[in-house]
Amino acid sequence: MEKRSIIPMSEKYWQYLSDESKMLGEAESISFPESEEEVLKIVAKMRKDNIPITVQGGKTGIAGCAVPLRGHILNLSNMTQVKAFIKTDTGDRLLKVSPGITLLELKKTINKLKDKEELFWPPDPTEASATVGGIVSCDAKGICSYLYGDTRNYIEQLRVVQSDGTILEVSHEEMDKYIGGEGMLGILTEITLRLQPKPKEIWGISFFFENKHDVLCFAQELSKKEQNITGACVAAIEYMDRATIDIIQERKEMMTKLQELPDVDTEICAMVYIEIHGNEEESVEQIAEILMELAEMHNSNADKAWAVSGDIEIEKMRAFRHAAAESTNLLIEKTRQEEPSITKLSTDMCIESESFKTIVTKYEEDLKKEGLKACIFGHIYGNHLHVNILPQNDKEYKKGHALIEKWAKETALKKGKIVTEHGVGKLKKNIFLKTASREIINKILVLKNRYDPTRMWNPDNMIEE
Amino acid sequence: MIKIAVCIKQVPAYSEGEMDPKTGVLLRGGLTSVLNIYDLPAIETALRIKEEKGGEVDVFTMGPPKASDVIREAYAMGVDRGYLLSDRHFSGADVLATSYTLMQGITSVSHYDLILCGKQTTDGDTGQVSGALAKWLNIPYINWVTKIVKLEKDSIIIEQMMENEEVTIKTKYPCLVSVEQSIFIPRIPSLKLKIAAKKKEIKVLSLSEMQDQNKNHYGLRGSATKVEKIFPPTKVKKRPIVHKTGIEAASDIFKIIQQIK
Ligand SMILES: Cc1cc2nc3c(=O)[nH]c(=O)nc-3n(C[C@H](O)[C@H](O)[C@H](O)COP(=O)(O)OP(=O)(O)OC[C@H]3O[C@@H](n4cnc5c(N)ncnc54)[C@H](O)[C@@H]3O)c2cc1C
Repeated sequence: MEKRSIIPMSEKYWQYLSDESKMLGEAESISFPESEEEVLKIVAKMRKDNIPITVQGGKTGIAGCAVPLRGHILNLSNMTQVKAFIKTDTGDRLLKVSPGITLLELKKTINKLKDKEELFWPPDPTEASATVGGIVSCDAKGICSYLYGDTRNYIEQLRVVQSDGTILEVSHEEMDKYIGGEGMLGILTEITLRLQPKPKEIWGISFFFENKHDVLCFAQELSKKEQNITGACVAAIEYMDRATIDIIQERKEMMTKLQELPDVDTEICAMVYIEIHGNEEESVEQIAEILMELAEMHNSNADKAWAVSGDIEIEKMRAFRHAAAESTNLLIEKTRQEEPSITKLSTDMCIESESFKTIVTKYEEDLKKEGLKACIFGHIYGNHLHVNILPQNDKEYKKGHALIEKWAKETALKKGKIVTEHGVGKLKKNIFLKTASREIINKILVLKNRYDPTRMWNPDNMIEE
Repeated sequence: MIKIAVCIKQVPAYSEGEMDPKTGVLLRGGLTSVLNIYDLPAIETALRIKEEKGGEVDVFTMGPPKASDVIREAYAMGVDRGYLLSDRHFSGADVLATSYTLMQGITSVSHYDLILCGKQTTDGDTGQVSGALAKWLNIPYINWVTKIVKLEKDSIIIEQMMENEEVTIKTKYPCLVSVEQSIFIPRIPSLKLKIAAKKKEIKVLSLSEMQDQNKNHYGLRGSATKVEKIFPPTKVKKRPIVHKTGIEAASDIFKIIQQIK
């Protein structure tokens, strides 16, 4: 092995001590392998010296999963090979890639594939610099999981480097433990993706509301009944409150993609973004009409609702939705410059046993009671909202943390999910351990003991040792 | 009541690397087509004028039947009527023939007070069609327009951004105004109008609807430019500044172009 493939940590590599959670960690060394062979050599060396490894993809995770607290950083961003495009006899389209390929590169690669149909890979957490390895490991989903379902549906096979230095080929049936495994059980060195035919017609519609009651009732109606008809389906239903819209618009100057969008009227208190996917234009249009009627019943002006189609225009709408997360992350980073104790403070909870309206109202009342600033956005389906608390100082940060803990406990009592798509990592470990059932925690421990008995992988993620 | 015509164009949504480096031909296969982004601010300008003063906004586009998509997009923004100038004799047109066809089309429909164009297209890129159209129509032409200052009963006051100065111009209708992208952020199509757009009529104008029916004035035959070869420019880092008279400079530029060819 080349001497320099394991590099001692220095100032030059400081950005690898953090991710989008804005937590800051520590490490002794770092490496950027380009192949599985190199990974194996590095792992062997670390095992010999008894040094734990934190695996990194694009460092876009928001729960600190990829933030090292000690040991070695194995950064996979140079493992970007596209290995094979396979068309099976049964008509499946599979793409074998290395884990470090980013969503952006993956999309470009897929666009260039020679196939009679246009293809795509449905999991899309919107952050283009996230890697496939990171997406699989966090079980990240994105807005269209409403239609396409879980990330696992789009993975055919994995290759895993285990802590004893052996390689395991994992089939679709046995891969659940690695999906959302947060790099705790091994390093994914090759991922076979299952591609889908891209819908021929995609519409993106934004409905705007002046009244909170109206938008919440509209959202509730949407989550109650399916609007699908033959030839087209609703693929995403997203909520953004006024605070979110303001935060996005304040950052418009820095985000070129958003500069082509007009400002949202000041009297608007929230918006709902819906995507319709289908192969029949008429069916897509029919759903759009049904949604329009429903929105009008809840006092949204359909003349002012934005409606776009075609990849380029849809990208603009998605960029707006993506900017919700991106802008809040930037705001946190800014506050952190003055108050280093501050990290991202957001929820990823899902409660299906209560109505959308009850949940949003409760979040808003609690925030008001605590005097905390926040913005609320996320998936209406499954009541899966991301409340992003925006503390100005350490006192508010602690208050916010306590509030999230309270919500997590309440969510657990209502049989909801505390962590849905962002991972537990280090940032949410405390809350996760306080609220998850003993059964779930035991299950993680059993897996960890079986696949990582010497505790090589990602120290301090998810569980307390 | 102002009658406004806006000229729009469907262009390929291509990006880098989609031109065959050897032949210079655009690889259009599988590419989607879009409404030229520079035309969107022109539509927006027309709609705002209509909203303020009342009136009608019509769009004109020359292209194959598929180009009707951009008229539907304009409908979804709020345009009243769309005209597609489509005829096999119109194809292969350069600036001269395109502007002539647009003039023939526009005058065959109505008399417009104001004609608006975007500053250029993203495919042809010449930025010359609007000027040539004004010449054919024999009406005042103002380009590089960044602001509509005032709309009066029989004239319009606008701001034109020259290289080193802003010029305020008042001109009587009819006139042709070519707007810069910065004039307005175009509105996003409205859902209600987008749904209605599918059912709205698009009038197709062919050669037989034109006043001048001489085939030689349209398309490739009516074009003054003959394209010998299209090729991506080689990237050069040198950017020398030379001080010469117009005639000397033109002859130098001509020599450089000959060398590249
Ligand atoms: C602006 C913004 C918007 C976002 N929006 C969404 C959204 O809408 N939906 C959503 O679900 N998520 C969203 N995310 C977060 C998303 O979870 C991450 O972007 C992504 O899942 C992590 O990918 P990554 O390559 O950055 O992984 P990293 O952050 O580098 O790592 C994440 C975890 O994966 C592990 N890991 C990475 N690669 C491997 C590997 N090859 N083998 C084993 N373990 C590995 C790491 O050890 C770590 O535990 C957003 C993030 C940002 C910044």
